[in-house]
Amino acid sequence: MKKNPTLLAAIVAGIVLVLAYPLLFTNPYYVHLAETILIYAILLYGLDIVVGYTGQVSLGHAGLFGIGSYATGILVLKLGAPWFVAVPASIAFAALFGAILALPALRVTGPYLAMVTLAFGTIVQILINEMTFLTEGPLGIQLQKPSVFGRELTEVEYYYAVAGFMLLSLLLVHRLLRSHVGRAFEALRDSPIASDCMGVSVYRYKVYAFVISAGFAGLAGSLYAYSEQYISPNSYNFELTILFLLAVIMGGRKSRLGSLIGATIVVMLPSLLSDIEVFRKIAVTAAVVAVIVAALMIAKRRTTVGRAAVPVLATLALAVVAYKLESMVDWRLTIFGLMTLFVVYYLQDGIVGFFKSLMGRGRSHVVASEGAGAADPFAGIRADAGDAKGELLRVEQVLMQFGGLKALNMVDLNIARGTVHGLIGPNGSGKSTMMNVLTGIYKPTAGAVVYAGQPIAGRTPSQIALGGIARTFQNVQLFGEMTALENVLVGLHHSFRATWLDVMLSTPRYRREELAARARAAAILDFIGLAELANEEARNLPYGKQRLLEIGRALALDPRLLLLDEPAAGLTAPDIRELMAIIRKIRDHGITIVLIEHHMDVVMSISDTVTVLDFGQKIAEGTPGKVQSDPRVIDAYLGGAAETTPPQPAAL
Amino acid sequence: MLAIQNLHAAYGKVEVLHGISLEVPKGKLVTLIGSNGAGKTTTMRAISGMIKPKSGSVQLDGRDITGLDSHRIARAGLAHSPEGRRVFATMSVTDNLLLGAFPRFTRARPKGDVQHDLERALELFPRLKERRTQLAGTLSGGEQQMLAMARAVMLNPEVILLDEPSMGLAPILVDEVFRIIARLKSEGVTMLLVEQFAQAALNVADYGYVLENGSIAVHGPAASLKTDPKVVAAYLGGGHAH
Repeated sequence: MKKNPTLLAAIVAGIVLVLAYPLLFTNPYYVHLAETILIYAILLYGLDIVVGYTGQVSLGHAGLFGIGSYATGILVLKLGAPWFVAVPASIAFAALFGAILALPALRVTGPYLAMVTLAFGTIVQILINEMTFLTEGPLGIQLQKPSVFGRELTEVEYYYAVAGFMLLSLLLVHRLLRSHVGRAFEALRDSPIASDCMGVSVYRYKVYAFVISAGFAGLAGSLYAYSEQYISPNSYNFELTILFLLAVIMGGRKSRLGSLIGATIVVMLPSLLSDIEVFRKIAVTAAVVAVIVAALMIAKRRTTVGRAAVPVLATLALAVVAYKLESMVDWRLTIFGLMTLFVVYYLQDGIVGFFKSLMGRGRSHVVASEGAGAADPFAGIRADAGDAKGELLRVEQVLMQFGGLKALNMVDLNIARGTVHGLIGPNGSGKSTMMNVLTGIYKPTAGAVVYAGQPIAGRTPSQIALGGIARTFQNVQLFGEMTALENVLVGLHHSFRATWLDVMLSTPRYRREELAARARAAAILDFIGLAELANEEARNLPYGKQRLLEIGRALALDPRLLLLDEPAAGLTAPDIRELMAIIRKIRDHGITIVLIEHHMDVVMSISDTVTVLDFGQKIAEGTPGKVQSDPRVIDAYLGGAAETTPPQPAAL
Repeated sequence: MLAIQNLHAAYGKVEVLHGISLEVPKGKLVTLIGSNGAGKTTTMRAISGMIKPKSGSVQLDGRDITGLDSHRIARAGLAHSPEGRRVFATMSVTDNLLLGAFPRFTRARPKGDVQHDLERALELFPRLKERRTQLAGTLSGGEQQMLAMARAVMLNPEVILLDEPSMGLAPILVDEVFRIIARLKSEGVTMLLVEQFAQAALNVADYGYVLENGSIAVHGPAASLKTDPKVVAAYLGGGHAH
């Protein structure tokens, strides 16, 4: 966790700017405006957790913001509660509603989730309006700035209080998102199914994300109520929720700086646009920036003249229009809308993302610590090799039915401890279905799965994963936007005892665990030969390396049983030799392996036992030699060239 | 037919191809072999416009198609059967095949007899014929791979790019895929093939290029590459009982 000196300087400069602002702009209007930006920023940090990190859509955050405001308003109005009661109560109350909002997110995604959260926001607004006995309805609630030691804070003092809360939120959110909790959020965005199979419960972490996000919305709402000193239901409408979402996207998701920039834009721009002189300056600046950026990008061959023409001409046209217009009033919203459309269309990674990519820097990631090779990649694994040769896994008469199709039809399977068990069969014979049954993704229609003496059918995938069954996927399921190291760290999620409170307070326990996990992850990457690619995003790795990374991530789970689904698919001969060496080493550490593979040389040379499936039924089982010469297996699977295996259209 | 000159391509700032030149003559089958991460799939993607090359040129039948959008390249007559069988899962087998012929319903390609070609494609892949009304997503992996190949054929293209057609297939199906490739070749179809089974690929191909770390290391007639001791040691021998 080394500090970058330029980043540190930027942070110090930012803090100084926030603190010096009221001295530079003494006009109370501008102080209030800046206060609003800071309050929005707090909400956006929270919203970014949901939108940027877990990849969910929420159109309900204006509602949560309103709940925070009204919790404070009502407590002050009805009970005369002081701020140190009202603010925490607002956070708690909004977080509670965040948990409610999380429930639909567990069932639906994408446009459906947008609809449901939109409905939530609308209902909140209507309820506030209707529940006049509590909220005074459309009349709204008036309140005063909080009092400290019996004296009401002035506008500038309150600004400093808000600034304090903003900086504290920034610190807490930042710590949270760069910890194992933040990695869990990102993992469930990139591949929910792999998250569950790494023991990171998608269910639980989606709820966490919404609750934490709502807590910050509640804090922002509470501060907003004190800041405006008057709240009414109309403030928490649909437009506000869109504005929040826009701010996250325009500023740049997965970035705290992006949230700040987004907040600044959505608060400042509408008011700046009302002044024709200011608007002219903005338009000219935008045109100049667009021309410079386009010239840079063309020079760097990042874009063509044709592609750059539209944005450049558009900004130039805007500048010309700015000088033609007499008055802004009628055009304000149109121009704001056009600028928004423009930014969202051309800068899909937001302003921060755009400038980062322009400067040739990717997103910031956790960086592998140097010299961590000393750790043992198999540190947490309890060897099974020494035990009696009993069975680790027993599948009894499993039936898996999809409609009329019996993908697995009364299959028995016994996996002995410390062995490599090959599972082969034609495409569509039920091998991958078996994997999904063993890892809890499918619940078998009938039959039992007994692992280490315990029945596991009906347990959730994350419970099964934590019980020691790890897997890789036929269609690679890595966390694409995360680095190789971070992917392995998600696998090590189970090694953390630290809670999100530990993370936010950065307790010694959390820091110790994080260091240990990083060292272990680096050792695992070293073991699978990806040490040099530790800081590369998984989606940029070549296919074969992605498959190896999946194995590494599975090892991080400290499995007793490792399920490999076609690890050699698409690999050429030299890569396969490397892969086989790795599989043998894993077995030598006492991990039992189930291997699905179509490369017969791999299966036959490495397996102790081979089971053959066809149309969901077991058609053969035994030693590789016995299976290879079984006429049913040759007929259904191996084909004519069974003795020599590989495809030979023309003899050598 | 397909000529690539000094092609450079990158993902973000990482350059993957450092100047590839290769040629696929009309009616020939050319294979591109190399280890994982050498840039085989990237080469295919840069040719068919799925990524934009940084520099260099791609010419199809004398026409420059460098950096065009991939649907324009398809309309120019280049079919790409991508790695990992991307079929239209919620459409039927027949509809998938007809979509492969889509450019023929525009002015970009001569229409010809689509119905006849559909029947011919189904003859070539008898397994698909049995399942012509089934949704592509419900096919087994092997059948999906055949569908991806048949869909490419339906374009009636000048050149077909086949990326890892045998990946994830049972041995018995791998044999069949290679038989189909050999048959397409005998019908005069021009193809560029990337294959995990380098030996088998060289057996069917006329000419081969070996990619190493984003550059062409060796190239020559397939028959001579098969006996090149360096190629044998690095790509054909060992691990595989070919």
